[in-house]
Amino acid sequence: MGQIEWAMWANEQALASGLILITGGIVATAGRFTQWYFGAYSIVAGVFVCLLEYPRGKRKKGSTMERCGQKYMTAVVKLFGPLTRNYYIRAVLHLLLSVPAGFLLATILGTACLAIASGIYLLAAVRGEQWTPIEPKPRERPQVGGTIKQPPSNPPPRPPAEARKKPSEEAAAAEGPSAGPQTNPIPVTDEIV
Amino acid sequence: GIDLPTDSGSKNNVTRNFLEVSLGLCLSRASASVLNLNCSLILLPMCRTLLAYLRGSQKVPSRRTRRLLDKSRTFHITCGVTICIFSGVHVAAHLVNALNFSVNYSEDFVELNAARYRDEDPRKLLFTTVPGLTGVCMVVVLFLMITASTYAIRVSNYDIFWYTHNLFFVFYMLLVLHVSGGLLKYQTNLDTHPPGCINLNRTSSQNISLPDEHFHEPFPEEFSKSEEFTQNTFVKICVEEPRFQANFPQTWLWISGPLCLYCAERLYRYIRSNKPVTIISVISHPSDVMEIRMVKENFKARPGQYIILHCPSVSALENHPFTLTMCPTETKATFGVHLKIVGDWTERFRDLLLPPSSQDSEILPFIQSRNYPKLYIDGPFGSPFEESLNYEVSLCVAGGIGVTPFASILNTLLDDWKPYKLRRLYFIWVCRDIQSFCWFADLLCVLHNKFWQENRPDYVNIQLYLSRTDGIQIIGEKYHILNSRLFIGRPRWKLLFEEIAKCNRGKTVGVFCCGPNSLSKTLHKLSNQNNSYGTRFEYNKESFS
Repeated sequence: MGQIEWAMWANEQALASGLILITGGIVATAGRFTQWYFGAYSIVAGVFVCLLEYPRGKRKKGSTMERCGQKYMTAVVKLFGPLTRNYYIRAVLHLLLSVPAGFLLATILGTACLAIASGIYLLAAVRGEQWTPIEPKPRERPQVGGTIKQPPSNPPPRPPAEARKKPSEEAAAAEGPSAGPQTNPIPVTDEIV
Repeated sequence: GIDLPTDSGSKNNVTRNFLEVSLGLCLSRASASVLNLNCSLILLPMCRTLLAYLRGSQKVPSRRTRRLLDKSRTFHITCGVTICIFSGVHVAAHLVNALNFSVNYSEDFVELNAARYRDEDPRKLLFTTVPGLTGVCMVVVLFLMITASTYAIRVSNYDIFWYTHNLFFVFYMLLVLHVSGGLLKYQTNLDTHPPGCINLNRTSSQNISLPDEHFHEPFPEEFSKSEEFTQNTFVKICVEEPRFQANFPQTWLWISGPLCLYCAERLYRYIRSNKPVTIISVISHPSDVMEIRMVKENFKARPGQYIILHCPSVSALENHPFTLTMCPTETKATFGVHLKIVGDWTERFRDLLLPPSSQDSEILPFIQSRNYPKLYIDGPFGSPFEESLNYEVSLCVAGGIGVTPFASILNTLLDDWKPYKLRRLYFIWVCRDIQSFCWFADLLCVLHNKFWQENRPDYVNIQLYLSRTDGIQIIGEKYHILNSRLFIGRPRWKLLFEEIAKCNRGKTVGVFCCGPNSLSKTLHKLSNQNNSYGTRFEYNKESFS
């Protein structure tokens, strides 16, 4: 139970509530019920909530499934900084948005659902969760020749690598060929016949 | 208007007469019927013990019918989505109805009204009547359940899905109350008050169009004459007021059967899993895998089935399914599971069973067994992999830890292969890490040797693939059988399928895959393609999460 990330569930709920608000609002304005302007408000609020909640936040552990095409909205939501990062603000915002829709019968369900989403966001905020945008991973440019190691600095015959290793081997390798004169492990004589 | 009386339609006639918009009523009744059916069917795929019994019994002889059982989770999800959609229709239609009931309140038929007075605020209707209030609560419960059942949540936070899904019981109780409100009524005295009859005592505010315009006031002494008159002109006189009675809630009939069945199944499973198992040994394998061997009285399982482990010392509420890697046989009652350590439950479980100091050593000394926590198991439950023994030729592809169902098949073949229909098994195991092959390397070698001794060297064809191309490429010195069957890189499925088709012309080959989704999709696609050898590949799919 300790590792549940409530924000993800609240996000799904808020997105669904936004859609319910839009549907209820359309029914209310199209049917020209009394107080139909609440219906119009509900449509606008629903669209706003959907846009805000569309980009899914990043999970603390593991990979997160992105919603299709969410990177555009991620850029917009990221702009608001702490306003969208903090879940307390989101909880209060959703609660306030849901209240006016409760006056009309057609949109009352949207109110209930958004209020529940707001409650779960409050729970997520209390547990210290935050909205982090899912960044696209920088594409790893294949490094040409990255695995090619430095060519050996000594001509053969060469002793095994462990014997060759010195504490300042990296500095020596950076320098390139060894600075000092070549010392052969086996004396080489030039045999002239 | 007036409808000609039909058997069931006539009972609702009077309602239709005074409600201006009957579309809302029709939609809500229609969606209610769909919801009745789906709410009753959705419970059936969740009776897992029953499904496991059907899978194994002789009562389901045809393989095609057994394969339908593989789709039980998909069926459950389909019913769930249908309930969601039609609940939306039902709620919208009823909201319109609520408005109409209050606007079109009729003083003539007080009993039929859902509203109590004209222009009653429809929101009050919603919240103060039994159907209204239970309906609102059901929508809230449904909202919670559906938002927690999306694929993203199931994959990342399975706990939320599991805990909210148990609210289904609240949903059903509310449903039982919802239909008991008695809103739908039918007329009980159709013979004395037929539809379209004229009420002579009332100054009629109804619009009834008569076949002809004549209207005679009957005098008491001329009663017989007026009767004759009515017979001639087909206009009936109402003898008495209409009486209504609430319909028996059909929903109770629909949901009581499956609900009782499901409750019986849960009770049976609870009783069966109440006795803890005795852990015989705990073995630590490379690549974060732990094997547990245990015994339990009267535990029988078929190869390929899975069990659900419940350890109260680790978590009081969580249950986790694991496939059996070794099934109890007539001679040996031990059975076992292999667990891969991912996630907090398995980590804590491992820390309880294998104290961190001895996690590197292979087998725990016997004296530590007294400190094992209590472990309860539920099951066994069926899976499509049981079917691999019922094909003449089977192709089993495993990815990583997905080898567990096939391990139980191999153990069973090691025990005795003759009773089964299987005569050739292609076993392909793809792993990322060379150490993973050590989990069942001994089993594979022993099996290979056994078939070699019995002069059936082609019974099991083993191919091991190491998908990571850097690193060590030898399993171990003593496993030369496996080393010679080890390939580096991923398998080339098309060539493999062609080879199997060529060697088994005209046969039906069962394809089983337990691994990542991409692998499953590739194999499914290849199984459905035709080949020139007349071999049929039947793909059997297991769904996880």
